[in-house]
Amino acid sequence: MREYDIVVIGGGLAGLMAAAAATKRGKKVTLLSLGSGTLTIGGGIVDVMGYLEGGIPAATPSAGLLQVGEGHPYKKIGRPAIEESIRFFKEICEQEGYSYIGNLDKTQWIPTAAGTLKPTCLVPKTMDTTELKKADKVTVLGFDALKDFYPSLIAKNFKKIPAFAQKEYEVVMVDPKLSEGRDVTALDVARWLDTEEGLASCIEKMRNVIDSGSVVIIPPVLGTRPDYAVKEKLEKALGCHFIETASVPPSITGLRLRTMLVRYLKKNGVRIVEQAIVAKSIVEDGKCVAVITEGVDRERTYYAKSFILANGGFYGGGLLAEPGKVIEPIFNLPVEAPTDHELWANYSLFSSEAQPFAKLGLDVDEKMRPLDANGKVLLNNVYVAGRNLRGYDFSFEKSGNGVAIASGYQAAMSV
Amino acid sequence: MKKHHNNPDSCTACTVCIANCPVTAATRKFRGPKMVGPTLERMRLSQDDIEPSLEYCSNCKNCDMSCPSGVPISTLNMLARAKYFKNRKRSLRDWILSHGEKMAKLSAATPGMANFGMKMSRGILKKIGISDKAPLPAYASKSFSKLFKNLKQTSYPDKVVFYPGCFINYNDPQVGMDFVAVMQANKLEVIVEEDFVCCGSPLVVNGFLDEAEENAKQNVQILKKWTDKGYPIITCCTSCGLMLKQEYQELFHIEGVAEYAKHLYDADEFLLDLHDQGRLNTNFGTLNEKYMYHAPCHLRAQGMGLPGVELLALIPGLDVQDADAGCCGISGNYGFKDDKYDISMEIGSGLFKAIKDSGRDTVVSECGTCRLQIGHGANVKTLHPLTLVRKSYEAYHK
Amino acid sequence: MQKTTVVVIGGGATGVGILRDLCMRGVDAILLEQQDLAYGTSSRYHGLLHSGGRYAVKDAEAGKECIEENTILRKIGRHCVEQTEGFFARTHLDDEAFEGKWVEACAKVGIPTIPISVEEALRLEPNLSPKIKSVYRVPDAAIDGFRMVWQNVASARKYGGRVLTYTTVIGIEQSNNQVVGIKVRNTLTGEVSNIACDFIVSAAGSWAGEIAALAGINVNVQPDRGTLIAFNHRITSRIVNRLRPASDGDIFVPHGSITILGTTSASVNKPDDTVPNAKEVVELLNIGEALFEDIRSYRMLRAFAGTRPLYSADPNATGRGASRGFVTLDHAHDGLKGFVSVVGGKFTTYRLMAEKVTDLVCGYLNVKTPCRTAVENLVEDTSPALMAKARLYFPAYGAELAASRLGSEGLEKVIARIQEKPEKRQLLCECENVTMAEVEEAAADSTSYMISDVRRKTRMGMGTCQGAFCTFRSVGAVDANGLSWGKDTNVLFKEFLQGRWKGIRPILWGNVMREMELTRGIYEGTLNINGAIDNEGI
Repeated sequence: MREYDIVVIGGGLAGLMAAAAATKRGKKVTLLSLGSGTLTIGGGIVDVMGYLEGGIPAATPSAGLLQVGEGHPYKKIGRPAIEESIRFFKEICEQEGYSYIGNLDKTQWIPTAAGTLKPTCLVPKTMDTTELKKADKVTVLGFDALKDFYPSLIAKNFKKIPAFAQKEYEVVMVDPKLSEGRDVTALDVARWLDTEEGLASCIEKMRNVIDSGSVVIIPPVLGTRPDYAVKEKLEKALGCHFIETASVPPSITGLRLRTMLVRYLKKNGVRIVEQAIVAKSIVEDGKCVAVITEGVDRERTYYAKSFILANGGFYGGGLLAEPGKVIEPIFNLPVEAPTDHELWANYSLFSSEAQPFAKLGLDVDEKMRPLDANGKVLLNNVYVAGRNLRGYDFSFEKSGNGVAIASGYQAAMSV
Repeated sequence: MKKHHNNPDSCTACTVCIANCPVTAATRKFRGPKMVGPTLERMRLSQDDIEPSLEYCSNCKNCDMSCPSGVPISTLNMLARAKYFKNRKRSLRDWILSHGEKMAKLSAATPGMANFGMKMSRGILKKIGISDKAPLPAYASKSFSKLFKNLKQTSYPDKVVFYPGCFINYNDPQVGMDFVAVMQANKLEVIVEEDFVCCGSPLVVNGFLDEAEENAKQNVQILKKWTDKGYPIITCCTSCGLMLKQEYQELFHIEGVAEYAKHLYDADEFLLDLHDQGRLNTNFGTLNEKYMYHAPCHLRAQGMGLPGVELLALIPGLDVQDADAGCCGISGNYGFKDDKYDISMEIGSGLFKAIKDSGRDTVVSECGTCRLQIGHGANVKTLHPLTLVRKSYEAYHK
Repeated sequence: MQKTTVVVIGGGATGVGILRDLCMRGVDAILLEQQDLAYGTSSRYHGLLHSGGRYAVKDAEAGKECIEENTILRKIGRHCVEQTEGFFARTHLDDEAFEGKWVEACAKVGIPTIPISVEEALRLEPNLSPKIKSVYRVPDAAIDGFRMVWQNVASARKYGGRVLTYTTVIGIEQSNNQVVGIKVRNTLTGEVSNIACDFIVSAAGSWAGEIAALAGINVNVQPDRGTLIAFNHRITSRIVNRLRPASDGDIFVPHGSITILGTTSASVNKPDDTVPNAKEVVELLNIGEALFEDIRSYRMLRAFAGTRPLYSADPNATGRGASRGFVTLDHAHDGLKGFVSVVGGKFTTYRLMAEKVTDLVCGYLNVKTPCRTAVENLVEDTSPALMAKARLYFPAYGAELAASRLGSEGLEKVIARIQEKPEKRQLLCECENVTMAEVEEAAADSTSYMISDVRRKTRMGMGTCQGAFCTFRSVGAVDANGLSWGKDTNVLFKEFLQGRWKGIRPILWGNVMREMELTRGIYEGTLNINGAIDNEGI
């Protein structure tokens, strides 16, 4: 019988980080994933804490961490572990040649494709806004036929942001000549820039519309690989600074980060099983012995000493929502939710309050082990990480990848 | 019977499948799995029209593997393709590529002549749309079933049924023979059924769904008969395996698939299971050799990890490195088509480069057509993992 | 001050039908709508063009009207009608005795009912419950409320008709017991103005009571809320009615890419009480299960509700007991000349109602031109040449959809946009196959003021993702073309997504919950359209 030290369920950022931290500790890890996780949807920007209840911006991510309510995952994890997890994440990025910039003591306000700014903590170097803040004149560069990026909208809306209102904006377009065939997404442009011919052709076209020394806002298209080759070559050839915006899926920054982390895990001996639909568990005396996947053919049993449950919230299938009820399908862990479904959500989609449904999830102790309604640990060797945790609304707070990294790390360190 | 919902309902339009589709990455002619699959499925239910880029889907299943919502995207595409061809004439090219088994049977009398003829007729094949550059497989001088009939096995009480599939049977029988040797080394007797027919995978990708269903019915009947008797069924070809256990359930409504699928194994996985039970013959001789490994997409899609890599890790001295560079591009007979050949080579280019960069001259992979494509694209030798397992057993006794 | 002969109040089916009829008879008319066209009940129902089978037993007159109008509309409105035919299916839960009564009643009013075997029914509609007992085919059809209203307006405009949307009536001007004008307010700008007119026709549906009250007249309209569910795909290609006395949740109607299940019936106090709730949805699913066993495994897109304008002279009659027939109230009897209210009725008979009202008005105006709305098509057929041309520019499945949404004229304009800039053939709304060019064309229409108005004209944002992707693109595209109505783009984002949210909130579980996580992740998490900005910190 093959037994691993740790089985990680879930291939999103929380699961990947848990696996990474576990291998760092010398553990033998199997990662069971279904689909390619949500990094490629959500993005590779690490939000830690942007807004407090009431919609007030947190002064810095670390200030925000101190102000979260009792039920928040950050409260459970505690500040030292959060700091360590961020350090660990940055270390991996550095080591893999795709370093991230930022720290907990500074909110980075980054431009979005909607022409807003969004508060975040760590970003890839392609989103460094240092030059943007200094610039008097900003160029917003779009690509012809790219239906997910509207440069004039960004220029217009930036004029409405007091700190950016004094700047001068110029909108320019580059035609990547991708009009034949399917509709154009940022991924198509990024793949174009991945190739040497594409990059050379793009440089030629950019030369005609931007001056040397320009600060240029662009969609996230600086290559699909987790490195800065495209950015560096472009900047060197044109003498400009490029800043990618946070944008709609597919997320190129998330794609890069995922590629990098999966590569890191494989290098470190993590066994990854794709298409693994974990459906059940075997629990004996308050401990999980194994989890069972349900293939279209048959069940397969995965034994381990410990298990990290990082299979997402409602989106990833870690939690299932039914009218007035939430189910955790693998261990049948309790999730407290209003039986009156009307209480799950605010009437306004956007308001200064978090959405109640977004905060539904599993309650855990400081080691990330699941708790019952009385605060008793239910399973001694199961640790929960990521979106299935209770008490945070990642969209509202801007805390998604931060919670994933911190809780994934904490789960692996608690094993 | 488990009811499979081939409907578009779980798709959230998240676009992950587009980011992971190797065909989308290689050509802008394909609108991408989400668009052609679940999105247009909603339209197909209300309107008759043709999405021309449907033909670009290679059924490699990377979309299904990346989908966070469990949507059978490639299956929706294959069903749409079958619907498209329901009232349309099909090309001779597609007929030939889908009916490898019939072609093989015709050639079986004189495989040497057939191979010679094939070489001579590449020009003719090109005219009907089969690429003259593609690595079409040669027929073996003796089919696996012939070789097997002449083989003297030691009889054991424990038996397994082997489903060889067309590629092993007609093109690469040595893999089948290696399989039998490995089973014998584990005190298992191999049963091969004469009445097995092509699993239907090449038929499905070209829209011959009705014929594929006929094949499926025949295979299901035989497979069910053996598993009812308590014998496991084993395949060495990952596409056959995927077809027999998964796609039969998604595409057809035939009683019994879910029952026998429980006992249908990939050879590597079967041996690893034996190992888990302490029953594997571990008298492995040392092989001080270095190989690259390529995981076939249709293996990855089966949710069992990479059993070949784990199995080969049991062999002392053997150094097998997972290339981990995605789809090879061939996807059954996709890369044989003249208008798909370049796309197929573009898809495989990352893998070919990884292999070349490794400096290793032989690649191990379970899938026969993957091996063809890798041999062609990376100019290396290729092997099935079981060939190494057999070699290791033999080395032990030397 | 604007002047006209007749002001028609209400941009629903009846109102636009009256506008068209008046204009076709040469009467100058303006239609006023407090929101967007088809914002009210005309788009908030299941979109069934009744064969009349539904009414045959209880109300033979209504059944007869239905089959007659059904026959007319399938012809004149063929670009907004899908000739799906319908099933009446009796489930194992339904009374067998009613079946015989129903067949007899249908025969009596001329509604053809063809019995088919359950096997045949299941072959035609494989998702139907195998437990059904008997099935009849009837000439039901599906009708698109948005398109039907639009096509009536397009036709009326050709005859000089005018339409003012986002215009609410705040007063009825009278002199010597005769209507002389109407006072209106633009709900977007707040601007108040008067329109001089000789006649007012109130076709305000559930709001008819409120309109009449402006003139001090009592019209007893009881708004009755019906909640419906839209499903993500076509689970049936035919309309399926449950063969039992009319009740809740027993009609499934396929519409293009979706299926609608309706409806509930509950008296409400306000005509705009159209916020559905989770309880009603769960009830509908429970009932709907009898016809489609797997109903819970089909994804819902949204729930929505409309209010039926049930009229009763008896203030105590409510719900399904009140008449579904229509009544024309000539308020000359109440002491005010030049004011008519039309109340009650149903979508299927809108044209007939319009004809009767227009006859009455024309009688007063001494106009002798006969009604031609039953013989003249709402919009012209798109020529084969234009269709062939459209196929060159639209992606697969797009040409037919665009033609039926836009009509010939609109289609030509959209093709011209694509010819000018080929990338405008790209889909802004991938779920419902809506091109960038169509969104721009709809945004440029004089009745569009926000993205939701574009949605009603094109179906953008009404498919699987419910705006998760196309909201961003459509705001971007209208803004890039200077069509954003002078509004802040964050306002446009929020307006549209809040509109989608209204229908999502009552069904927030399963795949809908998953989609919502994605939508919020994009707009709140990534694009931060809701977040305050810390200017000090930047």
